[in-house]
Amino acid sequence: MLEVKNITKYYGDFLAVNNLSFSVKPGEIFGLLGVNGAGKTTTFRMIIGLLEPTSGTVALDGKKIDYSVTDKIGFLTEERSLLTKMTVREQAIYYGTLKGMKKDDILKKLDSLLDKFGISNYKDKKIKELSKGNQQKIQFIVSILNDPKLLILDEPFSGLDPFNVELFKKQITEMAENGSIIIFSSHRMEHVELFCKKLLILKNGTDVLSGNLVDIKKEYRKKNIIIKGDIDVSEIEHIDGVVGIEKQGLEYEVKIADLSVADKVFEIVKSGHNITKFSVEEPSLNEIFIAKVGETYD
Amino acid sequence: MTSKLKFLTLESLKRKVKTKWFLVANILILIVILCLFNIDSIIKLFGGDFNENQIIYVNDQTNITYEVLNAQNESYTKILDDEQQVFELKKTNKSEDEIFADKKNKDAWYLVITPDTENTLKAKLVSDGYISSYDFAQFNGIINNAKQNIALAQSNIDQAELAKISKSVDVERVILDETKKGEEEGTQMIMSTVFPFVILPFFILSLFLVQMVGAEVNDEKTTRGMEIIISSVSPKVHFFSKVIASNLFVLLQGALLIIFVGIGLLSRIILGGTTDISELGSSAGIDISSVINEVLTSDIVNNLVYIIPLVIILMLVTFVAYSLLAGVLASMTTNIEDFQQLQTPIMIVSLIGYYLAIMAGVFEGSLFIKILAFFPFISAILAPSLLVLGQIGIFEFVISILIMIVVVALLIKYGLKIYKVGILNYSSKDLWKKMFKALRG
Repeated sequence: MLEVKNITKYYGDFLAVNNLSFSVKPGEIFGLLGVNGAGKTTTFRMIIGLLEPTSGTVALDGKKIDYSVTDKIGFLTEERSLLTKMTVREQAIYYGTLKGMKKDDILKKLDSLLDKFGISNYKDKKIKELSKGNQQKIQFIVSILNDPKLLILDEPFSGLDPFNVELFKKQITEMAENGSIIIFSSHRMEHVELFCKKLLILKNGTDVLSGNLVDIKKEYRKKNIIIKGDIDVSEIEHIDGVVGIEKQGLEYEVKIADLSVADKVFEIVKSGHNITKFSVEEPSLNEIFIAKVGETYD
Repeated sequence: MTSKLKFLTLESLKRKVKTKWFLVANILILIVILCLFNIDSIIKLFGGDFNENQIIYVNDQTNITYEVLNAQNESYTKILDDEQQVFELKKTNKSEDEIFADKKNKDAWYLVITPDTENTLKAKLVSDGYISSYDFAQFNGIINNAKQNIALAQSNIDQAELAKISKSVDVERVILDETKKGEEEGTQMIMSTVFPFVILPFFILSLFLVQMVGAEVNDEKTTRGMEIIISSVSPKVHFFSKVIASNLFVLLQGALLIIFVGIGLLSRIILGGTTDISELGSSAGIDISSVINEVLTSDIVNNLVYIIPLVIILMLVTFVAYSLLAGVLASMTTNIEDFQQLQTPIMIVSLIGYYLAIMAGVFEGSLFIKILAFFPFISAILAPSLLVLGQIGIFEFVISILIMIVVVALLIKYGLKIYKVGILNYSSKDLWKKMFKALRG
């Protein structure tokens, strides 16, 4: 289990991460969210031991993370971290060996992953010759060569098309099922929603929201009602607790302050015509994020 | 961790050696060395009149001067011991126009000597082109001596007296300490060998070293590969792998240069049948076989027993210091352009050492140059020159080495602190503040 306890990081007088605590069990996928500069990368760097926290501790299976355990960790950075003059094969051997793997094992694992991602023919190509998307695949592949116990993915879907996002998701899910601890950040809230059981939102280095995604959504008072049919919009707008109405195609999205307002809305909708849909839904993570952080992720 | 250090070192070395540019560069270096060693043969191959004597057509209207002039020319040649400077005199009755009408005589001189009642002789020297002051001074000396001899002969002095006056003074050269002569000549020979074969390659290799470490650290930093590497191995291991690999590379390159020089010498023996490279344009005139003989038979061989190892130690320690410094500076910068700017002052310091080493022979005994021989980085170039020239002793040289070792220790202790912070720093904002903070730990 990964345990992050009260970590704080100062850069001079600047507080980058403020008393952050969370834990991730094997098999869990944990989302770390925040706008640029919120402290995500600093947190990742402290987890993998690149940075020493000003205070607090990080432990993997009860042991402080240092160079004796880094062979069990995989890390994918937000920016491309590949040595572009190398071939895919050379790059895999380079990073794999640094993770304590033997050359034969690296090549065996590389072949299987290249095959899985449909890029076996790129094995002897120089990284700089590959497209942005394929470079991202290689970066992901080399970060999981060592079957990491702890995998940190900083924006893993960057530069990928939907098909490849699915390949990544499949692989990440598979690794979680095999007991890996996975922490990741993504600009795409729908990915976080699909993946993460637990998440933490950072704002200026401080935890503004954390916990199980289901609980977070349940506890979040504001809900959305999706209505399809002919309704009196002005009448609904005047109901106490209705925050706003947006027309999206043939449907209306009514934002309500809490669940008790749904009954009042339903009373009005009943008198409408051609009503084919009335559904009370949880707010999206994106909405929660905006509400908590005060700005969009991007 | 040791195996990772070994892997990173070998990988770094492989990245430098297993490139087509390493091969291309070394082929070019070999070609340049081969050309340098055989430059005289190459020049001769293309031909020219550089090897021909200066022909002077002499129209002697006195009928007595030509023989005396010729004798003076021959004795002058013997004194100079430089056959390249010999004037070749040819007696002629042709006129100036007739001589220069022949295209073969384009570069010849035409000398008309006529009798003169007041000054014994009168001469007119005609040439198609410019006559250098040096050549004219030589010619002037010869013809004046000839004139004096003729004047004396015409003064009714008897033959024995005339012979005594005309005979040049025998100057016996005596050097009180004969061993000094051999030592001095040996030192001069070694010095003229040390500079092109030791100091210059060291200077070039140190430039190479700094560039290589900087480029590699910057490459890993700019591609962010550094974060993956440092998440697997400690900055200390990474730092030392770069230092060891770059020094191994420099040693390999140095060994290749020695082999290339050997090939150059061999090619000279095969092509020219001699090891005499005095014709390469060096004023010192180095004959490798004679240098070896001279060295082996002189007292300097005893000194070389400690000079060579000490020089090698100082140079190796300096190489290590250069690579450490380059690594630290590269870690602070965010791109290769910034690194190149930052390394310029260090290279200028080395350049100062290079020029001081050249000047050491001219300003013999200079206290300023002696003090700078202890200055880190300069010492590797300057101290060996001063040691060979006998301007500093073994004690001073050992102090230079010790100072350099202290610098290496300081670079490891404090440089590593900067390196640890620098390699993960991607912003130049508050750079020096960050680095000083890193130094304080």
